[in-house]
Order: sequence, then C-alpha cells, then structure tokens
Amino acid sequence: MYPRWLWRASALPGTVWLFLLFLVPLYAVVAIAFGDVSPIFQLPVPVWNPLDWHFEHMSQVLTLFAPSHELWLVFVRTLIYVVAALALSVLIGYPVAYYIARFSHRSRTTLIVLLLVPFLVSYMLRMLSWVNLLAPDGYVNSVLTGLGILRTPYDWLGGHGFVVVLGLVYGYVPYLILPLYATLDRIDQRHLEAARDLGASRFSTFIHVTLPLSKTGLLGGAAIIALPMFGDYYTTNILSGTPDTSMLGNQIDFYFHGGPQPTVGAAITVVLAAFLVVVMSYYLFSVNRAQKEMHAV
Amino acid sequence: MRVGASAMGASSVAPLLAACGSGGGSTSSGGGASNGGGSTPKGPGGIALARPNHPVTLPLDADNKAIPSGMKPETGGTFTVFNYFDYLDKQVLTDFGKKYGVNVQLSTFDGIDQGIAKLASGSVRPDVTEMTPDKLAEVVAGKLLAPINHSYIPNLPGNVLPNFQSPFYDVGARYTVPYTMYTTGIFWRSDKVTQDIPSMSNPWEIFWKSQAYKGFVGVLDEPRETIALALLRRGITDINTEDPKLIAQAGKDLEQLSSICNVKVNETSYQDIPQGRSWLHHAWSGDPILAVNDYLPKGFDRKLLRYWHAPKGHGPIQNDCWGIVKGTQKPVLAHLWLNYILDDKVGYDNFVNYTGYQPPLKSVTPDTLVSKGIVPETLRSAVITENDFGPTSLQEMTLTPAGLREYQNAYSQFVSGV
Amino acid sequence: MSVVLPVRAPARGGRLSRRLRRTADNPWGRPRFLGAVTWLYMAWSIVPVVIAIQFSFNAGRSLTAWQGFSLSRWYWGDPINSVFKDPALQHALLQSLKLAGLDVLIAVPLGVSLALGLARWRGPGAKAANFLMLFPLVTPEIVMGVALFLVFLHLFTFIHPGTTAQLLGHVTFSISYVVIVMRGRLFSIGRDYEEAAIDLGATHWQTLRLVLLPLLVPAVLASAIIVFAISIDDFVISSWLSCGSSCDTVPINVYSAARQAPLPSINALAAMLVYITIGVVLIGYGLYRLAMRGNRGSLADLGV
Repeated sequence: MYPRWLWRASALPGTVWLFLLFLVPLYAVVAIAFGDVSPIFQLPVPVWNPLDWHFEHMSQVLTLFAPSHELWLVFVRTLIYVVAALALSVLIGYPVAYYIARFSHRSRTTLIVLLLVPFLVSYMLRMLSWVNLLAPDGYVNSVLTGLGILRTPYDWLGGHGFVVVLGLVYGYVPYLILPLYATLDRIDQRHLEAARDLGASRFSTFIHVTLPLSKTGLLGGAAIIALPMFGDYYTTNILSGTPDTSMLGNQIDFYFHGGPQPTVGAAITVVLAAFLVVVMSYYLFSVNRAQKEMHAV
Repeated sequence: MRVGASAMGASSVAPLLAACGSGGGSTSSGGGASNGGGSTPKGPGGIALARPNHPVTLPLDADNKAIPSGMKPETGGTFTVFNYFDYLDKQVLTDFGKKYGVNVQLSTFDGIDQGIAKLASGSVRPDVTEMTPDKLAEVVAGKLLAPINHSYIPNLPGNVLPNFQSPFYDVGARYTVPYTMYTTGIFWRSDKVTQDIPSMSNPWEIFWKSQAYKGFVGVLDEPRETIALALLRRGITDINTEDPKLIAQAGKDLEQLSSICNVKVNETSYQDIPQGRSWLHHAWSGDPILAVNDYLPKGFDRKLLRYWHAPKGHGPIQNDCWGIVKGTQKPVLAHLWLNYILDDKVGYDNFVNYTGYQPPLKSVTPDTLVSKGIVPETLRSAVITENDFGPTSLQEMTLTPAGLREYQNAYSQFVSGV
Repeated sequence: MSVVLPVRAPARGGRLSRRLRRTADNPWGRPRFLGAVTWLYMAWSIVPVVIAIQFSFNAGRSLTAWQGFSLSRWYWGDPINSVFKDPALQHALLQSLKLAGLDVLIAVPLGVSLALGLARWRGPGAKAANFLMLFPLVTPEIVMGVALFLVFLHLFTFIHPGTTAQLLGHVTFSISYVVIVMRGRLFSIGRDYEEAAIDLGATHWQTLRLVLLPLLVPAVLASAIIVFAISIDDFVISSWLSCGSSCDTVPINVYSAARQAPLPSINALAAMLVYITIGVVLIGYGLYRLAMRGNRGSLADLGV
C-alpha cells in the first residue's frame, strides 16, 4: 500500500535521536567508570575502547559492595525502603483501583479525575506540602497533640526511615493505581459472573479469578514504580537529611558533586543499572507482551 | 551561605623569612600528583603544598604574564563574574557595571570543584572567578588564572589586613586577592542548649554528648570540615593530615553521631537555628552573623544566639579569594574588579547587606561591628581579627589527590549512615 | 486458564458473623469498606497539596501558621519575594514553561513518526528499534541524568550544560511516552480506513494526509498533554544538566527551598505550575473532544 521505505524512514529520526542521546550516554557512563582521571584536576577521562579499560575504580566499588561493606549496607537499606514502599503502595493502591474499576458507577468520572490530579501536580510540590505538614509546628503535630495521641510534638523530619518510606509511597502510588485500574477495568465481567454462578464466594472469586487476571497490570505497575525508587535521592533529602536514611542514589550524587572521584560515581551507576536490568527486562517483556495481546484482540 | 570545601588562612609576613626552603614551585604542570616523593609531598602540578608555616610562591609562566601598567579600562560588552549564586550581593555587580560602563553578569557554580571543572572544560568563560586557596595549586598548574599587576589594585595595600599582603598560599599575591575570612566553630542557641560550651575543656566534644538534643544537631556538609571536627576533638591539630588511620578513625567517630543525635548534615544553620529546626550546629562564623541580621523571627532575642571558635592553632580559620581568569578579554576591568571588591564601603556593604562573611578589611573590626549593632556583644567571637592568623593557625589546605580520596572515602562512609 | 472453585463452606458462628458474611457475600451489595478506603485515599492524596496551595495565599510568611488570606502577596504583591517580582522565581517559571513547550514541539513529531514507523515496519531492525524505544521508560532517572551529564561533558562537548542540554534530555525521555500513546490509537484505528481510501483511488500521500493523520489527532493531543506534564514535573534530568541558577526550573527551586526555610512564594510558584498544567489539560481535553466528535474514545484507545 505504502512504499516500503516510508515506515523505515519514519522511524529513523526518533531512532537516531534515541541512539545518540540515550544509548551513547549510557555507554559514556561505562567508559568513564572504566576510565582514567586527569592528573591535575582529577576530572574523569573516558576510555572508549574496551581493550584500554582501567578496572581500579570498578574494583574499588565492587569491594564496597561486598556484604557488610559500605555500599552493600546502603544497597540493602535502599532495597528495604523500596520493598516496604512497594508493599504499602500495593496495599493502598489495589483496593482503590479495584473499587474504581468494579464498583464505582455514578462517581466513576469524579474518581478518575481525582486519580489523575497527582499527575498534574509536581512531585516536588507534593513533597513540599508534606514538609510543611510534618514541621514541628505543622498541622500533623497540632492535630495529633490536639487529639491527645501525642503528648509532645514529634520531629517527623528528624531523620526517620519510615517517613522516607511514606514519602515514597505518597509520591509513587498514583503511578501504580492507574495501570492497575486499567487492567482491572478490562477484566471481563463475565468471568466473574461465571465464578459466582458456580458458587464461589466473593473472596474466592477475588483470589482465584481477579487476582491472576490482574497480575500483569500489578507487576507492571510495581516495576514502573520500583525502578525510579531505586534511584531516588531527593525524597530522602527533603524528608530527612540525615546520613542514616541515605539511599544508593545519594551515594551516586555524592561522588559527582565535588571531590576527586567521579569515576567511582560512574562505577556505582553502572552497578545499579546492572542490578536493575533484571527488573527492567522483566518490565520490557511484559509491556511488549501486553501490547501484543491488547492489539491482537 | 556557602564557602568552598577548602579553607584558607593567611599567614603573616614573617613566614616569608621562614626557612621553609621548598616553597617555590616548579613550572612543570604535567607531573601529576606525586605522593610523598622526596621530603615534601607535592600537590597538583608539582607545586608544593602550602601550609601556614610553609608558604608557597606560585610559579609564573613565560606565556602567562600580567598585563602592563597604565592601561585604560575596557568599556562596553559583558563582564562576567564567576561565583556561588548566593555569595555576592547583586547590588555590587550593578554598581560596578554602572561605574565602569559595562554590563555585568553573574555566572554560578554549586561548588568549587564544579567551578574548576567548568573553567577547565571551557564551558564558561568568565573574567574573574572566586576561588579557594586550597585549589590554587591545581588552577595555577592547570593555567586557569592570570597573574596580577598590583598597580591596578591600590586597595590591597591600602585597605586590607597586613597578613593578606603576601599570604602563605600565594606569596607576593601573584594570582589572588582575599575575599572573605571565617572561622569554623560551634553555633548554638542558649535557650535550648544550656551547657556552657566555651568553658568546656574540649568544646568539640559537645557533639558526641548531645543525646539530649537528638534530632536538632547538625554538622557541615563538607568532607574537610567535618573530618577536621572529628580530628580536633581528639586533639589532632594537623587538619591536613593524610594519615589513613587518622582519617578513618575520624570517619568512625563521625558515624557515631548518627546514633547519638541523629545528626543532620547541611549548611543551613543560619536559618535552622533561629527558626528552631536545629539547636546545635557545626558552623562557619558567617552563619551566626547572617542569622542575626536576616533570619530572626519576630520577637526573637538576639542574645540567645551563641558562637564559639577554638583559639589559634586549635580550630580552623580560612579565607576565600578572587582571581583573574586566564584569557579574559577584559583584563583591566578584571583588575579593577579586584580593587573594587576591596573598597572599604563596597566590602562592608556586601558583608552587612548580603553575605554575612567578613571581608579582610582593616576598617572592619569587632568594635565597629558591635557599636554599629551588626553583631551583638554576645556574638563578638564570630568576628575575626588579624591576630587569629599566623604561622601557628590551622587552615584546611591543598592535599595530594590520594589524600583527597582518603577524606572523601571516609566522609562517604559517614554520610551513607552505615 | 483453569479455575479451581472451592465449594462454599457451611455457615458457622452466631448472628453477627452471619450478618457480616451475608454482607460480604452479596455480589451486588455496595462495598462500603472499599469505598471508604478509596475516598480516604483520595483525601490523603489531594488534601496536602490543597493545603500547600492554600498557604500560597497566606498573608504572613509562615508555612505552618495561617495568618489570614491574601490573594496577591506571594503571587505579585510582595515587592521582593513574590513570584512576579523575584527574578529568580520568575526565571524558573519561564524556564520550566520554555522547556515544556519546546519539548512538546520536538518530542511529539519525533514520537509520532517513530510510532508510525515502529507499528508498520516489518523488518529486522524493527525489534531492536522497539526495544530501544522502550528502554528509557524503564531506566531510572538518575542513571539517565548521570549518563547525559557525562556525555555532554566528555563527548558532545559542543553542548554545555544549560537550557539546550536540558531540552535534549527532556525530549529523550518524552519520545517513548508519545510512542506508547500513539501506538494504542494506531491499533484501535486499524488499517481499514486507509485501505478504503486507497481503494477509492487516493494516492498514498493523500491517504496519509487526509485519512491517517486526522484520525491520529486525538492521540497526538493526548500525548502532547502528557509530554507537557512530565516535562514540567521533571527534576532529576533538569538539575543534572543545569548551568547554574539561571537554568533552574521550578522543581529545582522547590527542592532547594524545601530543604531550607521556604517562604509561601515557593508554594505560589509551584501552584502557578499547577494552574498552568490544569489549564493546558483543559484546553487539550477540549480540543480532544472536538476532534473525537463522532468517535467513541476510551482510555483503552490510548494504550493505557
């Protein structure tokens, strides 16, 4: 119908752009992680040819990643925060998505609009609003002391892991709910009716029908929020600011902002990316499969 | 208000006569960092490591000469000043531009390392740059600065304290003039911290005994400063040590602070203390002055703010400086800027109206500041006099790259909270 | 897919538990608990932001104590610190809008043509290109920020950190979102209309211009809105590629302020972004409805 070269040409500009400004920069990180340091200014010098790579920085970083060393402990802490935030997000997000998808009839439009509101508000503003609320003289403290739950104001921002986790949940749960809602919305009502007709209780229907059918949406949404959480460094800086809540992203940030070892920062980035490749690949395959399934219908 | 990670102190003229022989630097710039070769470890570019009792004359290059005297200032175009974004009153820029008929703009960096990287890569081309003395060796070796012709800068001998006429980090003031000076000490508010810190036998120890103030204690977000804090607390006064054991031990001491007081790591004590988010903070002397002038909430009693710094030789004192960027198209104006910033009124206004960091001018003394009400009597200790400088003073200065790595690694361990 | 259905167990327990079980088992009953959870979630999600925006109208300087209502103080009234008088805040707002606008103008055409190409290209490179397109969606921002920062410093050195670099970074992560949105629409359209046009004698350029592209307009609008929103919200890439205070965007300013002692003017600045984004969304939605007259659109079309 169309000339054969048309679609290839159409895809060309975007592909070239992504190659030059996405793939090449990723390789630049690798080239610097395995690169050199300039003698006078201690600035990184990339080494593009793998045969000339220097391995000192990477080996320094890998030793620090060995169990009970510095980077390992930070990584474990980051993992704990991400898993906790993920679990909380699913706990909060699944019921909400389920309700909107299956039960809200009259208020559905309102609920969907409300669901989309966080997307219109900058992540930073949402964190800032919590900083104001959690300040020593902020609303949270005044409400809790007024109700008698707290006797003295609590310093929420004094450096607590659970505050950081809650911040991550608050920031990322909307990104989980939306795809989850879309998946749940697409579940054919007839499957559920069939299950009920065959005598299953509501709970069993949920466990044995709804949950498996929503699996791709759930896991896809979980991957989509877990990945940025791993690289997060600003949430903990805003909500805490103490060393014992620092995440892996903070370490990378630290080595790049001053000091003689930006190559170490690059090496940590490479290790982080390598670790996340597993999660990323899973997400890529599931998105690809979902798109194929969706469009094959 | 921030200043670079490096500190600089000036030494008095006496060290010029001191017998530290290896004060001169070589003109080789490709030597890289040699670590302990020979009796004196060399810094970047083979230039010796300057210390208050070990002055260094920065090398001059045949192809990097100062401009001749008596030239007329350039007019028109844009004059670019390179500095932190919050370390210079914008009014000074405007006034300088009006005085010399040129458009002045401020180009900024977030930290001195980033500034040097931008200069080295050519991504900025300013005319003058703020600098910290501990980085002078690398910027001079890397040929980023142009030497100064002092005939354009009468304010240096005229207005500036004698110890800065030929500072130990730049004997003969070949490349720099000083900008601000400050000590590093302890800043607290006496209504929340009731201990009498100055009368303690080791005031630095207060951080390790601050359980009662958990969640309201902070240290500076600078590797050199914070490790120096831990070293000084143990009585180690060589804050330029490169001994890995001492540095590692300092790092471990700092890590204890996390569990003792949930220590915060930031540079915002000038806001946090008056506003009650912090009660006890490792700070620079400019922080209380800034706090008392700009950040007091209504009805706050100025006398509650206190500052302590150690006597000479037991606590850091440092300064920042200005330099002329090599290759500037407006060298005469650059010299005139250095002169302008050392003018008594300009320096004073910049200090009082904006930065809070004291200029090294003879006219700015503790008595004048207290009498003008800029500094309450209770914060007299935040004002610096020339007696605070000298060959026995402590300044954080240039390290070899290996030393810098040690500090960064120890500090990284601290901020990762493990 | 096989489904194992347990047989319902006989009722046990007293009246209360029977009542509860009856409520729980009624398939058509209203799930009050889930509804409550949902509305509570909405409140938790939105109220803090509303409070923050409310404080941008605070008459005093505090962000925790309401000192009276002042519509204009932090927006244009205060001569030093309000959004329209403080040059740093103004500059940040303009920078954010500039980047978002240019991002839309560049990323949407690139993304649309990439989506068309990927959807219809049957060749060996198609799979690789598709994978390349999906990659930015899953890459953590800090990895991308570090990568772009390093590449502009060491390889593409003719581009210094600054607005151009920030724009290039924004477009890079935006293209993939456009493609995802467009693909959904492309598949829901199918090839029928184009085949009909060709059968009726149109050249393929005419088909492209008069049949395919107009059908894509709603999705183009949707992707433009999405690109605008994510560009305005971006923090990590903008801050890594920033040239200093003159390239700072609103999220960067809000971040620095959140770590210090902000004034309500920061709330006002962030609130301005919210108003503008809502405005853009409303305009876009209006145009979308206009374009979709006669079509039945649903979220499924957008590939969500």
